[in-house]
Amino acid sequence: MSRLDPTVRKETAYIAAWVLLLSLLMEAVFLLLGKWDLSVLAGNAIGGIAAVANFLLLGITVTRAASGPKEKIALRVRSSMTARLLGLAAVCALAVGLLHTNVYATLLPLLFYRVGIAFRPMLDRRRGKTETGNTEGGDLLD
Amino acid sequence: MDMVALAMGIMLGLCGVGAGIALIAGIGPGIGEGQAVAAACEAIGRQPEAKGDVTSTMIMGCAIAETTGLYGLIIGILLIFVAPGIFSGVLKETVLALK
Repeated sequence: MSRLDPTVRKETAYIAAWVLLLSLLMEAVFLLLGKWDLSVLAGNAIGGIAAVANFLLLGITVTRAASGPKEKIALRVRSSMTARLLGLAAVCALAVGLLHTNVYATLLPLLFYRVGIAFRPMLDRRRGKTETGNTEGGDLLD
Repeated sequence: MDMVALAMGIMLGLCGVGAGIALIAGIGPGIGEGQAVAAACEAIGRQPEAKGDVTSTMIMGCAIAETTGLYGLIIGILLIFVAPGIFSGVLKETVLALK
């Protein structure tokens, strides 16, 4: 963990917070609908951990590829993307097929980090970008 | 009854084919991510002092691009685990209604 890029650590923490928040919201919705059981909790846990791990691996790959040889950057990122996607497919298929977790509770957390990213520019603007000239990427993503 | 079995087989096969096609969506984001990271590296090379900002934007941009692949993955898993149950239920109801 000590070799982890500070930017990756910060972004992963931000994404993990969003995944946790939206997971709690999803559990509440399942409870309100009267469809909550342990398979929902297990699916949510597996999906959420897989989503955060996927983002963390993405960050690690991207920062490592950026510091490596220039010709291999695209190839590395592409192969990492394929491996991560297949890994996610395997984890979800095993969770749903073998552990019989709730399909929707397992798959929905994979998309939670997209919500966090969508809210990012808004939060940055509210924070007023107090850090010296730090745009946190929000402006470029608008 | 043989026709029902045939229809069920075709339906399951098409669900598998559909899941495979949905996973093709994972190819595009991979190529895009690679190009984005390569461009970001050039940007860092030009302005090393902006490394933090560029890295942050790059990671978020890659994550957004990757969502497209995840949509395909989710559709594929739903086609494998959920759709066959729903479709076979509809098929059985239709057969019972026709009898």
